[in-house]
Amino acid sequence: MRDQLSEIREKGLEAFATAETSEKLESLRQQYLGKKGVLTEILKGLGKLSHDERRQLGQLANEIKRLLLQAIEERKEELLDKASFLELQPDLTIPGIGIAGGGLHPITQMCYDLNDAFRSLNFEIFSEDEITSELYAFDYLNFPPDHPARDTMDTYWLKGTEDKRGAKRLCLRPHLTGASVRYLQQHGAPARFVYPGTVFRNESTDARHERAFYQYEALIVDRDFSFSSGLLLVRTILEKVFGHDVPVRMRAGFFPFVEPGFEIDMQCSVCDGEGCHVCQDVGWIEVMPGGAPHPNVLRAAGLDPDIWSGFYINIGLDRLVMMRYEIDDVRLFRSADLRFLEQFK
Amino acid sequence: MKASLNWIRTYADLPQDITAEQLAHDLTMQTVEVEEITNPADLVEGVVIGRVVTVRQHPQADRLVVCDVDIGQGTTSQIVCGGSNLYENEIVVVAPPGVKVRWHGEGERVELSAAKVRGVVSYGMICAAGELDLEGLFPPSEDEEAEIVDLTELFPDAIPGQPVADVLGLDDLIIDINNKSLTNRPDLWGHYGLARELCAIYGGTLHPFPSIEIPEGTSDYSVEIVDEDRCFRYDAVVFEGIELRDAPFSMRKLIWSVGMRPINVIVDITNYVMLATGQPTHAFDESHVSNGIRVRTAHEGEQLELLDGRHLTLSPTDLLICDGADKAIGLAGIMGGAHDSILPETKDIVLEVANFEAISLRRTASRHHLRTEASIRFEKAINTQRCDLALGLTYQLMAELQPTARIVAAGTHRVRETEAIEIPVSLHFLNVRSGHTITADDAINALEPLGFDVTYDGDDTLNVSVPSWRATGDVDIKDDILEEVCRMIGYENFEYKPPVITLDKPIRQLAKESERAIREFLAFRAGLQEIYTYPWVSDAFINIAGDHTDTLIKLASPPSPDRSYLRGSLIANVLEASVLNSRYYETFGLFELTQVFSQGAVSPSIEEEKLPRQERHLAIALAGVLPFLLFRRLKGILAQLPRFGRFEGWEFKQSGDKMPWADRNAWLKIVNDEGDELGSLGLLSPKATEESGLRIPCLALAEINIEKLVPLQSRDNLYRRLPQFPLVEQDLSIVIDEDVSWAQIYEAVANLVHDAKFVEEYRGEQVPKGKKSLMFSFRLGSDTGTLTAEEIEKLRNRLIKKLRYTLGAEMR
Repeated sequence: MRDQLSEIREKGLEAFATAETSEKLESLRQQYLGKKGVLTEILKGLGKLSHDERRQLGQLANEIKRLLLQAIEERKEELLDKASFLELQPDLTIPGIGIAGGGLHPITQMCYDLNDAFRSLNFEIFSEDEITSELYAFDYLNFPPDHPARDTMDTYWLKGTEDKRGAKRLCLRPHLTGASVRYLQQHGAPARFVYPGTVFRNESTDARHERAFYQYEALIVDRDFSFSSGLLLVRTILEKVFGHDVPVRMRAGFFPFVEPGFEIDMQCSVCDGEGCHVCQDVGWIEVMPGGAPHPNVLRAAGLDPDIWSGFYINIGLDRLVMMRYEIDDVRLFRSADLRFLEQFK
Repeated sequence: MKASLNWIRTYADLPQDITAEQLAHDLTMQTVEVEEITNPADLVEGVVIGRVVTVRQHPQADRLVVCDVDIGQGTTSQIVCGGSNLYENEIVVVAPPGVKVRWHGEGERVELSAAKVRGVVSYGMICAAGELDLEGLFPPSEDEEAEIVDLTELFPDAIPGQPVADVLGLDDLIIDINNKSLTNRPDLWGHYGLARELCAIYGGTLHPFPSIEIPEGTSDYSVEIVDEDRCFRYDAVVFEGIELRDAPFSMRKLIWSVGMRPINVIVDITNYVMLATGQPTHAFDESHVSNGIRVRTAHEGEQLELLDGRHLTLSPTDLLICDGADKAIGLAGIMGGAHDSILPETKDIVLEVANFEAISLRRTASRHHLRTEASIRFEKAINTQRCDLALGLTYQLMAELQPTARIVAAGTHRVRETEAIEIPVSLHFLNVRSGHTITADDAINALEPLGFDVTYDGDDTLNVSVPSWRATGDVDIKDDILEEVCRMIGYENFEYKPPVITLDKPIRQLAKESERAIREFLAFRAGLQEIYTYPWVSDAFINIAGDHTDTLIKLASPPSPDRSYLRGSLIANVLEASVLNSRYYETFGLFELTQVFSQGAVSPSIEEEKLPRQERHLAIALAGVLPFLLFRRLKGILAQLPRFGRFEGWEFKQSGDKMPWADRNAWLKIVNDEGDELGSLGLLSPKATEESGLRIPCLALAEINIEKLVPLQSRDNLYRRLPQFPLVEQDLSIVIDEDVSWAQIYEAVANLVHDAKFVEEYRGEQVPKGKKSLMFSFRLGSDTGTLTAEEIEKLRNRLIKKLRYTLGAEMR
């Protein structure tokens, strides 16, 4: 019996140590230590032995049982350390499973970036309706009747109103600036607000020209607001949008609704002002017109131009987004083509 | 508009070393946008003078000759040429190998190399004008076919080998200015005005304008302005004894270099005067003008043939130049008449120098689609005093270039002069509004070189007198003076200054925040792509969507005839976008949130203005294969939208009329608590699917009026206490009549269980006809302890019993 026990010990230890799987290990445990296991059978047979032998062999058998259990535990841990849920090494170059993909229009994204920047400076967001009248699109903005500047904005007039004048002549807004008068009439001054939206021009289209495009205007009206502060505002906003300081310059420009008017350029980010094909070797890119609201515009808004002044900028978002992603055809924005839009998640 | 720096320099002492880059930069920063600066000498880079030594017939070709040409290199160069006007000792223009020319005046320029032409080697090319882009300067004569440029007469002393650019004097900087940026600067539409501006920028000295006094003793010529609202001044001068020939080369060159075409000495003088002063002038053939000039409005239906051959039918809104016999001879300020302007046989002329009212002239020009060099200048509003500059320069040029011509008569009618404007400006105003420190001297130094007269009271006020050439609408308020001062100081010299701003109110715009939350939910959670479409809709898709055109808004001149209506709903556009994308994708989801328009009379700002109804709508399209699943996906997205979009909730209900585009078995309305309709959703009907050309099995659509949603301050649900004892997950399959809805089942079980959820429906062999099998899941629990198996069984039985009694359900 002693021999049997040492054989069980040897064979058991050997079998446990080499068991390949945890299932195999479990069946070996049953085989040796289960209710009908070989060791259990031996222990059952102990009763027939003398007291001394029973004591000695019992001790030995328990010692072996302890050894075997320990071996099982060790082997279990070894096996667990080596374990994998995957029998074979899978091809880990196979791509992950994607999540359902949607996205905002790239212009909406840019608009929200700007909204966040302006909101952090305590600007309000104002939306004007897309259909407006000649009164707000031109008359209130210091465009004299039949002034050549009206021609630079070929307007979509509404049928049945095209031969009327002023408030009775309706159109798809050719620019956003009229919205500023609406806001100021309603809220008065001081005021700090942005008014983004789509504008429409009756033009022929190509890769750089569109009939519908997205503009973003911001206006501050306050007491004694200076151009120096306006310039700082522009710089702050561009820094927020681009994530780094963007050198800007302001130069003379003419728009009827501002006096003085500016063109605001930013340093070309492709060449850092050295000159390249993007900026046509100028080193600067025209990003926005701006200026101080013309006294006649302030008057139209019910404000006294001797008290109030301000600063306005207009950002063409289509163009800014085109620069951000190097898009070469503006018409893609309104194509509704998902193959294009899906690229801007 | 183009201008020549050489020409400008004749009126001003400017630094000699201005580079093209610097000029472009300085003008752009301080005055107007320069688009491009070019040097005409670049057209003939490497091109030299040649003297033809011998001309002989090409042995292989009838139309070619072989020349030996002296180009100043000791030995002559052999050049094969197709020119028809070659002769010995002719001074010609030679492009040696390595120079780029435009072959036969067509296509891109290509580089020449020594090459055989029909067996004979040619070392370069004797050029025709077109090959060097000089045809404007050397117009080909009408009867010669292959004419090369012959400089023998013009430059007999030119030395072979001399650069052609030097001989012709082409070295210049031509400044191309963006016309739009010149809209408010009529004074810059002539070289003298530009000279003044550049003097102000560079600190140069402006010369007095060259002009001579009107000669005494000329007889009166009758000039009558009938319409005094539209013509403020008219001067007519009659010259006799004109000899029509080419203007001198130097004049032709200047006219050509700024983009106009030299014609003959008289026309060139009128153009030269315009380009110098910005004041257009015109010359009529005197023999066609009887008894003086009358300026009057046209009669309805009156006819006029213009110089460019166009026949106009006029109306009283047009202004005419007529002769004393009331015959129309020109469209005022725009173009002369075909029969009465300068003709080849003209001997005597009537010269017109006049001032016309800008707005009505512009209307006439727009209506007849006529934009001429003259009309472009007049429509910017020119000061009347400029007529004097133009007259003086014309006299001088006539005396110089037409010494035989005599002034025999002159007349003038002056209605009114452009008035000077006085503007008091305070230094305080200039400083506060610019944010820059500006002293009285700074302001004076900025303004005086531009022609403003400034007197300073020594305290705070500058009295600024605006020169007449800036007083026609350009500068009339103190803000205009502010701009002049600031731009001359240069905005780039301004420092950054933080504004003083009071943070008086926090900004909270719930509707705006809700709209953004809606977009972000749809894009980022629901996996849809946002699209933008045009506001004009195709007639075909309006039809499919079933929109009623009688309530839609129409464009007067639409982008295309079949897109004249503006969207009254978003369904048509979103459907069209889906059709487009169905070419590339089988399943996709997209949405658009924007305004739609319909007839109405809304006054957002003032009573007098009545605008159509304009409301923001949201439309969603889901494309896929299994119709009901698609519908349920859409419904699922919409069910979650109020919570994520943070506005008051809504319900789905089949009420009112089915949407015209929807499948009769799959449509719902979206309604609020009060039962008001907010929107709808449905499956696109098979008919609409077929008509639209959709290339995928089916489409589910929804449209919601965003303006009817009520945004919430925050999410509106209340915290629910966590269960003290665990809940157990259960499910149940029942067989019920077809017409029993899930809503009924839910209502029956809702207060017996937690979280009753629809799992699936089944119809098939095991289910009797007229019945359906439905499986749903729910959770059970108790507040007093963990449920035992017996307790669970008891609760399930209660549920089953209720379903049997109320809805006739059987267990599966």
